[in-house]
Amino acid sequence: MASVTLNQIGKSYGAVVAVKQFDLEIADGEFLVLLGPSGCGKSTTLRMIAGLESITHGDLLIGGKRVNDTDPKDRGVAMVFQNYALYPHKSVFDNMAMALKLQKTPRAEIAERVNAVADMLGLTPYLERKPAALSGGQRQRVAIGRAIVRTPDVFLFDEPLSNLDAKLRVKMRMELQELHDRLGVTSVYVTHDQVEAMTLADRIVILNGGTVAQIGTPREVYDHPATEFVAGFIGSPAMNFMPAARAGDHWRIEGSDLVLPDAIGLNATDPALTLGVRPEHLEVFAPENAPSGPWVFDARVKLAELLGADALLNLSVMGQPMLARVGGTDFPLAGGRVRVRIDPERLHAFHPETGLAVTSRSPSSGQ
Amino acid sequence: MNRTMNLEQRTALTGIGFVTPTVIVIALILIYPIIQSVVLSFGQSSIDGSEPYRFVGLRHYATLMGDGRFWNALAVTFTFTALSIPLELALGIGLALLMNESFRGKGLARLAVLFPWALPTALNALIWRWMYNSDYGLFNAVALQSGLADRPINFLGDTSLAMASMVVVAVWKTSSFMALIILAGLQSIPRDLFEAGRMDGMTKWQEFTQITLPLLKGPILVALIIRSMDALRTFELPFNLTDGGPVNATESLSLYAYKAIFDFLDFNFGAAVVVVQFLVIFAMSLIYVFALRNKD
Amino acid sequence: MQKRPRYGLYAIVALSVLISFFPIVWLILTSFKNTAGIYAWPPQYWPDPFTFENYVSIFTNSPELLRYILNSFIVGVGATAVTLLLGGMAAYALSRLGLRFAGVLMVAILAVSMFPPVSLLPSLFQNFLNFGLLNTYTGLVLAHAGLFLPFTVWMLASYFATLPVEIEEAARMDGMGFLRIFLTIVLPLSWPGFVATGLIVFIFSWNEFPLALVLMTQNAMRTAPVGISLYPGEYAFPWETISTATVLAIIPVLVITAIFQKQIVGGLTAGAGK
Repeated sequence: MASVTLNQIGKSYGAVVAVKQFDLEIADGEFLVLLGPSGCGKSTTLRMIAGLESITHGDLLIGGKRVNDTDPKDRGVAMVFQNYALYPHKSVFDNMAMALKLQKTPRAEIAERVNAVADMLGLTPYLERKPAALSGGQRQRVAIGRAIVRTPDVFLFDEPLSNLDAKLRVKMRMELQELHDRLGVTSVYVTHDQVEAMTLADRIVILNGGTVAQIGTPREVYDHPATEFVAGFIGSPAMNFMPAARAGDHWRIEGSDLVLPDAIGLNATDPALTLGVRPEHLEVFAPENAPSGPWVFDARVKLAELLGADALLNLSVMGQPMLARVGGTDFPLAGGRVRVRIDPERLHAFHPETGLAVTSRSPSSGQ
Repeated sequence: MNRTMNLEQRTALTGIGFVTPTVIVIALILIYPIIQSVVLSFGQSSIDGSEPYRFVGLRHYATLMGDGRFWNALAVTFTFTALSIPLELALGIGLALLMNESFRGKGLARLAVLFPWALPTALNALIWRWMYNSDYGLFNAVALQSGLADRPINFLGDTSLAMASMVVVAVWKTSSFMALIILAGLQSIPRDLFEAGRMDGMTKWQEFTQITLPLLKGPILVALIIRSMDALRTFELPFNLTDGGPVNATESLSLYAYKAIFDFLDFNFGAAVVVVQFLVIFAMSLIYVFALRNKD
Repeated sequence: MQKRPRYGLYAIVALSVLISFFPIVWLILTSFKNTAGIYAWPPQYWPDPFTFENYVSIFTNSPELLRYILNSFIVGVGATAVTLLLGGMAAYALSRLGLRFAGVLMVAILAVSMFPPVSLLPSLFQNFLNFGLLNTYTGLVLAHAGLFLPFTVWMLASYFATLPVEIEEAARMDGMGFLRIFLTIVLPLSWPGFVATGLIVFIFSWNEFPLALVLMTQNAMRTAPVGISLYPGEYAFPWETISTATVLAIIPVLVITAIFQKQIVGGLTAGAGK
């Protein structure tokens, strides 16, 4: 087991920069998730750690040793690929045993280790089968088993669940969690699925356009997004954003009649801000039951969608479109008049040009 | 492996190692001979090296430019290409459309159409030479017995017929190749385009001109290029069908070059012929390569 | 569309098949005629008598014709093996190992594949003569390899492009070097591509004429197309022998085409689609 250090790591293809100046310290035994939209550089970063991509500049250390120019097999890393990448012409046993065979491990030891891992993953009945004769979930287990057999210092996962159907994905996600609890091996996991990131990660790195947008625990990135991008990317449905202009000691939301009081200690020097509030942080009341106060506004329901446990309301809050997430029973129907309360504690603010968070509340998020 | 090289360099080195044998063979068999021919064409020497190489400048090229037989061979080559390619294309499109229909016995029909492609051209030429024979040939038998002709037709011995006879053999052999490539293109056209066309009220002919043909441009271009390069290099067909006759009416550039080397036994003059032939064909091939690159 | 009998379609199909087939049928019929039948007027549309004597005669009187076919086999198999091995490695490197000049090299390879073979003759003949490669299998195998490597590289590179690269990356993670990956992962996984390419290269080699004509000058070393073409000599043209030998010489390619029709068609059209 080992820590992984990325020291000013960068990757460019000619003039195209894929990853910029990446600094990261992954602790021994940590489960780190690289999260971001496609093309953000997360896979490239993972592949640089794996040794499948060369590193343009910076240093990569695994267990304190610089491994920039070490062959993948000598880095002590094992990788689980998105499409499983099993050898289709070899049996499950041979797939799992390949790395050990290439290391010239004694046959008896190979058999022992493969059988132990197969047993752990419930693959024992399938050891003689070819990958084509397995279901998607079983193939994914073989791919994971192949990585475990090697007892690597670091596990690398490249969107391992994205080819599974929704039900199986949830099941395998839990299995991965249990596995990590049990083995405690340092893991780097790439995904574009925020649910996987939130549930699996000790820490999440959110990447955008080849740069790090934020590094933090799932709780931190959700509660205190460091940038407008992170705020919009984490959370489903996405955060409501509103362009706001200072009007005396109030904030006027542009394009609407909505005016918010300045009660949250926002940076007083900014003439304009982008304000954000999550759909789950809007409270919706029938007009007759609504509390009163400076943070309660008139709204009209434009569209109501029942999801099951929840419902999504497309609101026009004094002309400002907003999405609210409410309980799935007894919600107002389209066309209805309601009152909406915005939780000032849950209001986010970002600098309109840089996208950086400007609330004074959370220095903890770091970057 | 050298540990001081980085990962990328080591991968590249392996790659170069993998490519090198192929590059060497291609250089030895395809590239070096062309260079050597250029050298030979500017000098006087003997095949076995008994006579030292003597530079003579453009003498062989001057001879060549004044040689009516060379200009004839050039004209024959282009005529042959210009006649056979459009016919092959038309038949190829027709065959491809046919093979794109579903009918019983399609597999067998496709195989029958593919057979001519697999035949060695040299032997194919022999088969047709026998059928064209003015005394015992199948064609004359049918023509005379059915009354289409009242005396034997000398398909290969008549200067006005020999080229046409040769074109027929080429078209017979290679239309199927055209058809295969065009058929692959046809099968890659999404069916719903035709269904959309039908909803728009297109007739079968409009479907063909509005949907099929425009989408087949790529495959047709590829087929045309491959086939016309073959036609410009044609050698064994006239060699075995007519030996270039009658009166050089079917003597292609390749055949003329071969004869200059191995019949007149003038290596250096032959090299000049070969260099000119190479330049002509390579110029065409460059045009094609660029056409292909700009295709999409 | 309602199914209705499509006599027109079947008539056109039948006509196409007939036109494609009749020269081969006529050739085969000729090979079963005796000498009198071959030169009869009006020609016999069906051999009378139907005789195997030409075939018997080839085996007893003209064993050199069988030798030509054997030579073609040796050269064809040799050229195919060399081409697949070298071309496969080159195609793998060019499509997978991120060589900076890969694109340029692929275009260059395409360009040299259009060289007219006759242009190579003066130099190849002289060099093969000086290096003792004339009239050797090695020589013609090498020449054919050079001639067909460009096609092979393009075919296999386009085949490799359809294989998922992740399997090879997993092999690297497992600790394989590129040569081992090529031999134990890429080769077994892309055998359909190798089979299709190999069959086409074999047919190309079997049918190749100008280089086989010039580089094999001894009668005993000639390949089938060359040997049969030159068999008659200058004046007489023994059609009974020629037609029979031609039947024997085209049987291998026709059988290969019939059995592997799908692979060959797939290979030809994939190569051309690039």
